[in-house]
Amino acid sequence: MTATISPEAAPATRDGPEDAPRVPRQATEPPSVHGRPDRAGWTGPTYYGRPQLKASPFENPVVGGYIFLAGLSGSAAVIAALADLRQGAEAAPLVRRGRYLALLAPILGAPLLVYDLHTPKRFYNMLRVAKHTSPMSIGTWILMGFSGAAGLTAAAQFGADLRPGTRGLRGLARAAQVPAALTGLGLSTYTASLLSATSTPLWAAAPQSLAMRFGASSMASAAAALAMTEADPGRRRALEGTAAAALAAELAGAAISHATYRRTGVAGALSGKAGRVEHLGATLLGTALPLGILAASLLTRRGLPRPVTALAAVATLAGAAALRISIMAAGDRSAEDPDVSFRFSQPENLPAR
Amino acid sequence: MNMHPRALEHAYSTLDHVIPNESELTAGVRIEAGRSYGFFTDTTVCIGCKACEVACKEWNNLPADNIGLTGQSFDNTGALSANSWRHVAFVEKSGANGLRGGQDQKFQSGWLMMSDVCKHCHNAPCLEACPTGALFKTEFDTVVVQQDICNGCGYCVPACPFGVIDVSTVDGKAHKCTLCYDRLKGGLEPACAKSCPTDSIQFGELSDLQIRAAERVEHLHGIGVDSAYLYGTPGAPGATGDLGHLNAFFLLIDRPEVYNLPAAPTRPANRVAPSLATGLATVAALALASAFLFAPQRGERP
Amino acid sequence: MTYVKEGVVTIVQESRFQLTDDNGVSHLFLLDRNAAAEPAQLAPLQARQARVRVTYEPARNLIGLVARSVRLLPPSQAR
Repeated sequence: MTATISPEAAPATRDGPEDAPRVPRQATEPPSVHGRPDRAGWTGPTYYGRPQLKASPFENPVVGGYIFLAGLSGSAAVIAALADLRQGAEAAPLVRRGRYLALLAPILGAPLLVYDLHTPKRFYNMLRVAKHTSPMSIGTWILMGFSGAAGLTAAAQFGADLRPGTRGLRGLARAAQVPAALTGLGLSTYTASLLSATSTPLWAAAPQSLAMRFGASSMASAAAALAMTEADPGRRRALEGTAAAALAAELAGAAISHATYRRTGVAGALSGKAGRVEHLGATLLGTALPLGILAASLLTRRGLPRPVTALAAVATLAGAAALRISIMAAGDRSAEDPDVSFRFSQPENLPAR
Repeated sequence: MNMHPRALEHAYSTLDHVIPNESELTAGVRIEAGRSYGFFTDTTVCIGCKACEVACKEWNNLPADNIGLTGQSFDNTGALSANSWRHVAFVEKSGANGLRGGQDQKFQSGWLMMSDVCKHCHNAPCLEACPTGALFKTEFDTVVVQQDICNGCGYCVPACPFGVIDVSTVDGKAHKCTLCYDRLKGGLEPACAKSCPTDSIQFGELSDLQIRAAERVEHLHGIGVDSAYLYGTPGAPGATGDLGHLNAFFLLIDRPEVYNLPAAPTRPANRVAPSLATGLATVAALALASAFLFAPQRGERP
Repeated sequence: MTYVKEGVVTIVQESRFQLTDDNGVSHLFLLDRNAAAEPAQLAPLQARQARVRVTYEPARNLIGLVARSVRLLPPSQAR
């Protein structure tokens, strides 16, 4: 039986699917060239400059967007539960907003994930197993649990708002908010382990500080979003304080991350556009700037005017989104650049056993 | 079935049955479920003929991809992909260490040729990352993707420390070398090993292969090829970082990066616990701080 | 542009199959990710040497054809 090239087969192009990977530089030098003093990190040979690893096939804005929404929702559920447990009916407006904000991940985030699958019609296969070695499996179940609990909380809240006399609904919301908050804690931070449990150098180099950054960024986003819309000055200060603490933790995580990247030799992945977005957008404008504004506001007795703190909140949210997307883009770059990936997969970077 | 006469010319085998346990004749090993099988690839005898690439494409009915010339020696395949499960790498060296030294003409003195393939790792990161359970360990200790379960999430792709597995954007699922799972079930050795004319690719039981490989390295050291070493056996480069060992391991004579292999890959699953622990601790601490900031109301709560 | 081919399924591997048409020419098909057919449904077609009609598009940067639908033809239509 002979296989012939069908006359209808289209000519080869280089811009679509099933194409050869992007080569980071002009790959014409022979692979046994030693010593490249112009590149930080790896100075040994590469295989024609070709990537050694494969970058994730995720669409970065889609998955990065989901990570942002997941963090925002999860932390909103946590803050809503805390406010309700500490202040009860006094904090009802805040609690209501928090419980509704928590619906973003189940309603918007989950469809984003299904869309990103290459065979979306089989999305339910994610529920076939529960694997502790796979953060994607862990996260699937956290999202399922959170969706159920947060959905129930929001539904009970909605019902209680519709018919204020119903005591049972308010109690139901109070009960359901506990598992929602607990799974919300997981939702706020598991996505960092999703990135770190891969061989992508930038994500694998500093798993703990990345988790710190993502978790803190989630709490900051939720606190900022809720503070922006909070009328009561006392609660607004509490939320701004939460946001400030979270931003400070995020800044610490960023500092530790960058030091670790330099030590393990993957800092080269942050030298391009993704790195600039991460430094300028996520760290400077998205973390340091709002932290400064909120700290100034908290240190004065009356606080800064609301438009100023609202600006800080918007910057925090934008920074959180920028952080997720830039880390994903820079990670893909680290996988595709053999200078970074070879430098990372050296014996001196092996974890101590 | 009404087919064109020419199509019927070679439709039938001259044998009236499949040879049972054919691998005993072709590879000297009887294939039984429950044992560990793999490849030992001795790159010092590879001649770069790419019979392995062709046999793999032909048996697995894979389309030609990466069409066009790369200009990278004789390697026009470039890398493993969703439709290329065997990839022969070519590195042209002059005065190669341990091989023909001296003043040979440029590019005539030493070539490194290596047939790259899925390593079928013992602690396979792709398998550990797969959230649907599509990737599994077969009864032959190999790693296979179940095509009717995979939903193309693509998480296995960045998980692989060797850059092997890939998601096809045409059919939306992940693909990689199956170590000819269907052939193994029929008692046949994998297509690439069967077609290799120099026995550079040797198929067999893993323990036998490892012994054979160690003896080959000793022999090479004895005749002056001091740079020969194994890649992927327990404790050797390539099997670092808690990967255990690679069922498809190699004999190399230059550093791994020259063949586009990582010197010290790691097992990504070991990063799950530290990451989750630190993340949860961070958000829990921030939640605690937040709880302090929300001063409770004076008087009773309704 | 969608094309149609009729023939016999002669080889099946995962979601790829070979179709041998009435002129004895073989073509390599890959099932599109949104195709109605599932990979598991291809193997019985090959076992029975069933005659099918495939609608397809050419693949980009691959020497192969992307099948959008595979329809079993009733035996009476076999020539």
